[in-house]
Amino acid sequence: MSASAPSAATRSRTVRLVVVLGVLAAAARLGAHDFWIEPTTYVPEAGRIIGVRARVGDGFLGDPVPRDSALLDQLIVEDAAGRRPLVGHDGDDPAGLLRINAPGLHVVGYLGKPSRVELAAEKFNAYLAQEGLDQVAAARAARNQSGTGARELFTRCAKTLILAGVAAAEQRDRALGCRFEIVAERNPYTMAPGQALPLRLTYDGRPLAGALVVAMNRKRPADRISARSDAKGRVQLTLPSGGGWLVKAVHMVPAPADANADWASFWASITFDLPAPPATTVEGRS
Amino acid sequence: MIGIVLALVAVVGAATSIEAHEIGTTHVTVRLHGGAAPGGGRVTEGGRYDIDVETDAAALLDKLETLADRPGPAPTAADFSERLAAFETLFRDRVAVAFDGAEARPDVRFAVTPPRDDVSPWTARIRLTGAIPSGASRLTWTYGWTFASYALSIAREGEDTAANEWLEGGQASTPFALATPAPRVSRAGIAWQYCVLGFTHILPKGVDHVLFVLGLFLLGSRWRSILWQVSAFTLAHSITLGLSMYGLIGAPPSVVEPLIAISIAYVAIENLVLTELKPWRVVLVFAFGLLHGMGFAGVLTELGLPRGEFVTALVTFNAGVEAGQLTVIALAFALVGWLRGDTSYRRWVVVPASFAIACMAVYWTIERLQF
Repeated sequence: MSASAPSAATRSRTVRLVVVLGVLAAAARLGAHDFWIEPTTYVPEAGRIIGVRARVGDGFLGDPVPRDSALLDQLIVEDAAGRRPLVGHDGDDPAGLLRINAPGLHVVGYLGKPSRVELAAEKFNAYLAQEGLDQVAAARAARNQSGTGARELFTRCAKTLILAGVAAAEQRDRALGCRFEIVAERNPYTMAPGQALPLRLTYDGRPLAGALVVAMNRKRPADRISARSDAKGRVQLTLPSGGGWLVKAVHMVPAPADANADWASFWASITFDLPAPPATTVEGRS
Repeated sequence: MIGIVLALVAVVGAATSIEAHEIGTTHVTVRLHGGAAPGGGRVTEGGRYDIDVETDAAALLDKLETLADRPGPAPTAADFSERLAAFETLFRDRVAVAFDGAEARPDVRFAVTPPRDDVSPWTARIRLTGAIPSGASRLTWTYGWTFASYALSIAREGEDTAANEWLEGGQASTPFALATPAPRVSRAGIAWQYCVLGFTHILPKGVDHVLFVLGLFLLGSRWRSILWQVSAFTLAHSITLGLSMYGLIGAPPSVVEPLIAISIAYVAIENLVLTELKPWRVVLVFAFGLLHGMGFAGVLTELGLPRGEFVTALVTFNAGVEAGQLTVIALAFALVGWLRGDTSYRRWVVVPASFAIACMAVYWTIERLQF
């Protein structure tokens, strides 16, 4: 169930540029944006305080989203010591501050509240196609609704994996309790470029099959790697290069009857830094 | 390069949307300076605009570098603003300042502010400045460098209130009127408004004027005496009201107001002494009318007169005053007019009423002299 994009090295600069622009143009048409966490660093030293920045955008290009209690349900971290909330004030960017008390893997989660959005038919259909929500598109077509707009309740679940100290296989990502959530089944900080990262998708605690999972690298966000989850909600993505990675998926179900909306969407993402082999390390922002 | 531009045009054009997104940290402030023709709706020459875009500096540089396919190392304090400025041409592609639909070409300057601590972001302040085209009436703003919602604030120089709007990246703002729109009040509307102001200045607000008019009404049982006095009074106060409003004459309220009180006292006391209209009474009433006119002018100056409809407002205010006075007489006639032929009229109406008015007026005179 895994698939990877052709290596960026095989493409000419012009081709890649056109792809980048195409992605941005498509994203702008969609009117539905990705949401992820970008920490000030993925690999802090123990004892440091790092900023946990929420971002909205497309193709790993985004804008800061300050902390807003109207949107945010919980901003939390789970590490060896357990779970705790991240401190932060409304209106602040970064949305939260994380003190790294001890070495280890820190799983940070932004659990959003449902927000309301209304999209015109054209935008909604384009967004369904982009996110691989074929069943929703089919359901709309069956009900002759493809030409009408949609009222949607969207909920964010953004996670990031932060490593302090030495990576170890037993350090694991874990489910934080979002209704729709991506969990990495291998510690990416123990991986190298070219290896496959197994991930698991759950919705309401059960595996979600058939969801389109997309991964993109900070340096080349247009080179998207995607695959659909299998019957056990699993997907494997081969990540060709080091640096910051964003993996995301969208799930959509009919909205509850009392929600005054047509559809409820759930946006899950996870970010982390894939260690690059020393020889190919490039100085850059992460 | 043409391909990039075409693709960017597509991005900017397609990104116009009305859906709500997460609110970001970008703020745009538009300030308009000078050149506004008061009430004219259009801008005369010499007007300028300056627009400050405050946004996350690293996020902006990231987008610019990715779009240009020129990724660079982490920016430093020394090179941050230069690196942003190097993408000025690309930056302009997704920003539009338009006057009546025609895009302007502002000067663009990039500056960055360092973060307050090592977890906070760098802030970019991009200032766009230029001249407002002569004769322009509306400004429209579009900013396509953010994926989050942002606040736009537009203010004219010297005005406290700004127009605020939430926008999505790439969405054009509501066209903003550059000059203060002229209030659309018709001549008939102004005439009615000032007529009502004139009337209410007598009834119910002008107790002193009411007592003066009652004083005129009480003298004599014949219509002719009332007609003569009211005519003289009206003519006189119209003259001084007009002259005062044109600034040709003027007297301070500290002089006019006590004199008005004295005039009321005089009329009331003379009512007690005389039984018939004498020629000098008409002359005096005329003189008092001149005083009252200056009093009306003081009120009208406080209310203000519309520049475009000065004469309309002046004439209709005076007409309103007149209507108020005639109403006082009509009410007085309805109340005691049926007694006018009676022999007891003077004894039971004129004398006690005039006495009461005189007392009130003397009190006012003393009160007003104390200023």
